[in-house]
Order: sequence, then C-alpha cells, then structure tokens
Amino acid sequence: MIWDNLQQHADTLRGRHLADLFADDPLRFHSLHRQVGPLLFDFSKQRLTTETLALLAEFADARDLRGWIDRLFAGEKVNGTENRAAMHWALRARAEGHIPEPVAGLFGEVADQLQRMERIVNKLHAGQWRGVTGEVITDVVNIGVGGSDLGPLMVSRALEDYQVSTAQPLNLHFVSSMDGSQLSHLLRMLRPQNTLFIISSKSFTTVDTLYNANTARSWLRDALGRDPAVVDCHFLGVSASDTKMAEWGIHEDNRLRFWEWVGGRFSVWSAIGLPVALSIGMGAFRDFLAGGHFMDTHFRNAAWLDNVPVLMALTGLWNTNLLGISAQAILPYDARLKYLPSYLEQLEMESNGKSVTRDGEPVDYSTSPVIWGEVGPNAQHAFYQLLHQGTQVVTCDFIVPAMRYHETDRAQVTGTLSGQHELALANCLAQSRLLALGEAALPQREQMPFYKRYKGNQPSSTLMLDELTPFGLGALLAAYEHKVFTQAVLWQINPFDQWGVELGKKIALETLSLIHSREDSDDISEQMLATRSAALRDSMDGSTVGLLDFIKQQRRGF
Amino acid sequence: MHIDVYGSTLCALVTAGTLASTGHQVTLRVPEGDVAGQLERNECPFREPGLPELLSEQRAAKRLKVGRLVDAPATPVSTVFLALELDDVELAHDIVARLADLKRQFWLLVNQSSFPVGTTDKLQQTLGDVGAVVSLPDLLQEGVAVQSFMRPPQLLLGSNDPYAESLVREILRPVSRLRDQFLVMTPKQAEFSKFAVMGMLATRVSFMNDMASLADALEVDIEPVRQAVGADPRIGQAYLYPGCGFGGPSLSRNVMDLASTLASSGVGSELLDQVLRINERQKEVMFRKLWRHYHTRLEGKVVAIWGAAFKPGTGRIDNAPVLRLLEALWAQEVTVRVHDPQALPVLHQHYGTRDDLVLCEDAYDAARDADALILVTEWKQYWNPDLVRLKTLMRAPVLLDGRNIYDPQFVRRHGFAYYGVGR
Repeated sequence: MIWDNLQQHADTLRGRHLADLFADDPLRFHSLHRQVGPLLFDFSKQRLTTETLALLAEFADARDLRGWIDRLFAGEKVNGTENRAAMHWALRARAEGHIPEPVAGLFGEVADQLQRMERIVNKLHAGQWRGVTGEVITDVVNIGVGGSDLGPLMVSRALEDYQVSTAQPLNLHFVSSMDGSQLSHLLRMLRPQNTLFIISSKSFTTVDTLYNANTARSWLRDALGRDPAVVDCHFLGVSASDTKMAEWGIHEDNRLRFWEWVGGRFSVWSAIGLPVALSIGMGAFRDFLAGGHFMDTHFRNAAWLDNVPVLMALTGLWNTNLLGISAQAILPYDARLKYLPSYLEQLEMESNGKSVTRDGEPVDYSTSPVIWGEVGPNAQHAFYQLLHQGTQVVTCDFIVPAMRYHETDRAQVTGTLSGQHELALANCLAQSRLLALGEAALPQREQMPFYKRYKGNQPSSTLMLDELTPFGLGALLAAYEHKVFTQAVLWQINPFDQWGVELGKKIALETLSLIHSREDSDDISEQMLATRSAALRDSMDGSTVGLLDFIKQQRRGF
Repeated sequence: MHIDVYGSTLCALVTAGTLASTGHQVTLRVPEGDVAGQLERNECPFREPGLPELLSEQRAAKRLKVGRLVDAPATPVSTVFLALELDDVELAHDIVARLADLKRQFWLLVNQSSFPVGTTDKLQQTLGDVGAVVSLPDLLQEGVAVQSFMRPPQLLLGSNDPYAESLVREILRPVSRLRDQFLVMTPKQAEFSKFAVMGMLATRVSFMNDMASLADALEVDIEPVRQAVGADPRIGQAYLYPGCGFGGPSLSRNVMDLASTLASSGVGSELLDQVLRINERQKEVMFRKLWRHYHTRLEGKVVAIWGAAFKPGTGRIDNAPVLRLLEALWAQEVTVRVHDPQALPVLHQHYGTRDDLVLCEDAYDAARDADALILVTEWKQYWNPDLVRLKTLMRAPVLLDGRNIYDPQFVRRHGFAYYGVGR
C-alpha cells in the first residue's frame, strides 16, 4: 500500500527536471537540508520533495525501523546468519554516555582495551618502545587487509593535520596487498632495528595478512637472529582471537583485543584504529570516538525526518528502488579524504550487496547500488565526462569541509593554501550545481551544438563538515554506518555478514596447490600430491585450465 | 674602572669575580630568581672550582657588589658586560635601551651572551650612537672556568669601533699579558666563530662515537684506536673520547642553535644534524648494552648510576646524557639508584621525589642490590673503585663503563661482565 503510493508519487516526479524543482520552490534548501553537530546534510539536489519524505518515513515505520534500531542498541543478535550482535557503536559509547549498557561489563571491557592501547601509544610516542637491539622504534607498519587496513589508513590520512609531534619521528606505513609488492618495496627502505609491525586481523587467519606477516618476520630474523625476543619486541597483534595471536607468537603484553560483535568494516573504532591513535594521539582518537557516539545518539533519538543517517538511507532507497538509479559516486573535495571512497565502497557494498532477505527469501528488488569514487577535483579529470554527458544516471555524494588552513602557526603559506581550499569548495558547489541543473545553470541559455550540451538532472547530496576534525570525521563515518544499517532494514537484509567473500578464498587455496605442485619431482609424497593435483585440475573449467597451463609454461623456462 | 655585569650565568659570575680581582669596581646585576637569592645568602650558585672563594674574597674586599638587574648603574659606570641566558635576547635589548637613556660620555657594552649570530649588531642599533656594543664570546670551559678566564688561550673580540677595542684591551690587560691574546674581528664574525668552535668540538666527539659503534660491530677495542688517532699531530688528543654523549648548557645547546640557525637561514648543515643525531643516539648506548645483556627484559631491575653531571667538576645536568638514560630505564620499569658528588640536588629538583629514583650520598650505597652499575660521568673518585666490595654489594656484577675509564681485562678478572663504548 505504502509502496504503491510511493511508486505513484515517483511516477509523477520522474518526469520533473531538478531545474524545474528549484524553479518551483526557490526555498527548497530550507526544507531539504539538516544540520546536526558539525555536519550539514543538503539533499535539496535530490529528485524529491517534502511529500516524498513523508511517504518514505511511513515506509520506514512499516519496516519497523524503530524496532530494529532498538534491537541494534540493545545488543540483540541482529546479525542472524552469524548469530551475533553488532555493537560497533559500543566501541565509542562510554559508561557516562547517553546509551545504556546492553550487557553488564561491556563498556568496561572496551575501556580496558583503550587503556592498553593508550599505554602502547604513549610508549611509542615517548620514543621508549625498543627493538630487540635496544634501539628506538621509528617506523610502524600496519599489516592488515579490508577493514583492518582501509579504516586506519583512511582515518589517519584524513586526520593528518592532527598528527602529534613525538619525542622521535614516528612514521606509519600500511601494507595490505597479498602479492607482497607493497611490503617488498617498504622493507627496502626500513631498518629492522627500528621497525615495529602491527598485525591486524579479526580472525588472525586472513591469508593475505599472514603471508605478509610471515615475510616481515623472516626479514627481521634474517637481520636480527632467531631469538624469540625479536618477535616479542617487533610485533603487535590486534585481533578478536587471543589464541590465534598467541599461536602465531605475539607476546601477551603486545596483544590488543576486540570482539566477535565488531564487523571488520566497523572496526576502526576498536584497537584496529591503533595506527590512527599513533598518528593523532589518544586524546584526538577519543575525540574521534566521541564524534561517532554523538551520531549514535542522534540516530537513536531523532525523528525520521530530522535524522541525518535515516534521511541518507531514505534518499538512497528512493534513488535505487523508485528512480531506478544503480550507481553512486563518492566525491570528497578534500584530498585528505583520499581513501574515503574505498572505505565507503567496502562499508556499503560488503554490507548491502545481498540478495536474500533475513528470512532467507530471494529479494525481488535492487539492494546496494554500485559505489565508487575518487577525490572530486581529480575525478573531474576522469569520469565526470560520463556524469555530465553519458547515458548512465548516477547519484553523487559531495563531501567537503567548509573551513581549512586557518591555523596561525603556518602563517606564511596559509594564505595561498586557503586560496586552494576556496578553489576546491568552488568546484564542489559548481559541479553539483551543473550536474543538477544542466544548461539551466548558465545565465543565458544559448543554443549549443549537441556535443556541448549538459542535460543535468543528476541528483546529489552534499555533506558539509564545519571542519575536518577528529570529532567531525567520527560523526560522518557513524552517519554512513547507520545509513547502511537503515537501508538494510528497509531492504530486509542482514548488513553484518559477508558470505559472498568466503568461497573465493577457499577455492583459491585449492588453486594454489595446483600452481605450487611440481609433477617432475622424484619424491614419492610429491608424486602422490601430483596425482591428486591432476585430478583436481581435470575437475576445473576450460578457462582456468588454460590459464594454469600458461603459467606452467612460463615457469618451465626457469 | 667601574663596571656593571648583567646576568646570572656562570660566565657573568666568573667575569664579575675576575674583573673585581684585578682591581675593577664591579656590580653584578642579576635578574630575580634562585641565583639572586643564593648570592644574597652569600652562597655560590655554581659548583665551579675556585668560584666560591673568588666571589667571597672580592665581596669581602668590597670590590664586588651584587645589585638588582632593574636598578640603573651608578654614575661612574660607563662599561657594562652582558652575560645573559641564551633565551634572554629581549631582556638584553631592554637593558641596552635603558642604558641608552642615561647620559654618559661613551657607553661600552660588552656582549658575552650566546645569542644568535648578529645579535650584537642589533644591540648596537638599540643603543644608537651613544657608544659601542662589542662581542666577547664566552669560551669558558666548565670545571676550569675561573682559570680559563684568568689565562685565556685566546680572546675573540668582535668590534667595529677602535676606541671600544682599546677600552676592552685596557679592561682585560691583566689577563692578556704574556702575549697579545686578542683576535679582533667584526662582532658577527666573533659570534659565528664561537658557534664554529662548538660545532667542531661536537663533530670530533660524534665522529669518535661513530667509530666506537663500528668498533663494537667489528669487535675491536676503540681505546688504542683513539690513542693512535690522537697521536697524529694534525689531529691532536682533545675531544676524541668516545662516550655516552656530550651534554652541558654550552656545547649541546650551542650546536643545536647553530644547526637550527643554519636550517632557518636555508643553508642547513647536514653534518651538524648528523652530529647531533649521533649524540642523541649515543646517550642511550649504555642502555642498549644493558637491554641486550638482560635479553630485553628489564622490568623490576635495579640499576646504579655513577655520575649525573654532564661532566666532572660541575653540578649541572643540562642536556646531560643521564637524563635520557633515566627516562629510558624508567620506561622499562627499572629502579635507578644514583650517586653524584654534586648533581644530586639538581637531579632532585628536576624530577622531584619518585619511587624509581633513589639518590645516594655514598657511591657504594648506590650499588647495593643493583643488577648493573653504569658509569656516566667520570668523576675522579670513580676511577679506582673497590671491585671486591662492589661485587659483594651488587645483585649481579655487571659494569657498564660509559666513559671507557676502566681496564676491561682487570674488571673482568674480578668476575664482572664489562661493557664499554666501542669495547
């Protein structure tokens, strides 16, 4: 019933150009933007009206959004397929905060790990974390992949202006790729005596990460010997599995824990955020958590139509399911947010790239759109051509801080740099305007040849922060997390599992055995292995067999 | 002559005392603070050999008075020495501006402070045309400061004014009798010369420390190597001792200032940057050896330290290696027992009372139940310790010799594990 109303409403709006919507209602911005804390959400360039919002809010009620939010914050097992709660919000809640503790002792456990983290951070900042030779650690390498990489990488880059100065220079590096190319490049530049590795993996079984970790360990042992103290002094572990960290050899004092109820893509708020804290200090890291907590509280309490994450979700639903738009671009106009598009790609597509409802039924509607992005000004030189004149309808999120470079301590260059920020802001506003209005954005509408025309009507939202602060970024990321959760509720899917990434890992291991094996060995066991491999090979498809054969051919030469 | 000396630095006190001892009427004008209080109580603020006696004799003889920095000089005074702290450039300008307002035939201002290069010329601008500001850089060696003022190897004088130069020569005539000790140049050249001297000394020390690290790796004893290098007449013996880093308000601060002066003027000195970096690393060399001796597990250990002053003969700990060492040890939850003949009060002042710092009046008491003894400052009294007694007192006989003053064979024969710098 509600859905029918929405569809009828969509039919009436579908033919309307954004330029007309603005012409009809010059005050659209007033009714179609919200400001909460450091964040302004402008969705007046979306192809909807206040009437649309009312209908969408009804739909949210019909999907029991209130009930689901309550269940999320009550620590109920909202992740059905893995039979777990999803309490990433608890990582940023505090005992004295605004959200009641769902399980006694939960906030205490979180606080304990933060405390451990603080001890490690302080020791490294003081220049008192020692390698096995007694030299001071000056380089920290985070080895992780997915959430254990993107989260800390994105946030530490975004908050690089907040880097603390330490007793000795402390450099951070990130390694994720399983092929070892990042690591081998890095190891050539680092001194083993001064290097500390953080091995970050929720399960501590992630193949990509463990291969890199093993390479790092061999590198250290080659240089510093096989004394167990080498691993004790040069490795930290962050994981939900204490046992697995112990098995790998991480010293008890060097293990930081988080919990099964934290999904990898929601884990930057936990000890996985250690590189962030190393970069900006625990004080600023806690501000980042406070920003997240601020948004949690807003999300729990605000009415749907004042609720920024809910409005983001409803807008998304409207675009995907009622206007049929299946692509979304993330366009930060601030290069510090360079990795935000990748981060949100994972957050949205790994969460909501599902086609089965919570009850196990196939869905008959679209879920997560394809999401991609790039720093806006750079993307202007890449895919904006398609946005402006292509045949795809794409909705965009423009993300930008209003202020930057007003610190007084860098007086000399601040002037020209703030000029650069103004230029970026101007581009951000101009592009979203042109995308929305098309030629109507021009003062006088001249008759243009076809190839110079701009059709416009590409909808977008603008998320403007007052400044890119730890608190503001925390609030922004938590808003996206809750948007994703809200959309999952609307789509009746589970956003917290990721079964779609499991099988590929498994069959890669089989395939690896085929690439590894040597048929021409004299060794009996190797020969038996080879026989098994042959059977495995024959069970594969023709393309894979062809590719495997090519690899073998290439190797024979060596 | 009637002379006022401004400042509470060691240089100010030595200058005031020495000038008085040669017959000048001197007023020492000190800023309010600890030094002023100590002088008021007739105490000597620096543990500098000969200085307390010098000051009390001259005060008894009424040739030396102590006054307040804010008061104006008496009428007969037209010569003023400025020996202020490094950071007091503003204060120097204030003083000079106030003097300029007082009517005199000719003001002679002698700047001895270690201000950035070019400050003397700027002070001249502040003074205007009522006199001259000259530079007489302080090249005192702590521990022999009085002696080196009385019998300077050379006197760097930066002056653009022949009359001012003749006045300075007259004032210092008693200390420059054997031959003409004056090297006269422009003020800026004199200031820069002082920095260059400091830079050279620091470079020699860091070079030797670098050689010591190499000697460690190659398992060569650095000591004969040092002697061989120093025996070359082109090089000489001075400032070639490897050790656990140089410190002191003068050497390290001056080199640091020089490095940052060069850096901010866009020149930069890669060499001096390295010199300082090696020195900072060197301050932890004994810690690293201890860390390895105990296989990276130092929690709960007790470590004795002999000598905290940045060098023997002084009670000061400015930039002293012991500070880095203490912080490194504390970060590993080590309790430290320190002995020093003079620096304990300053150390207490610096760190306050804490459980992991025990100040010991007796050197052997410091070694009680210690898991290692680290010699940091080579006070004479440490040169021939009673090793038998030490061994019974200590929990583990481990001796780390941060100044290479012991004979490794002899110490080892007494059952100690011995570690030196580069040996």
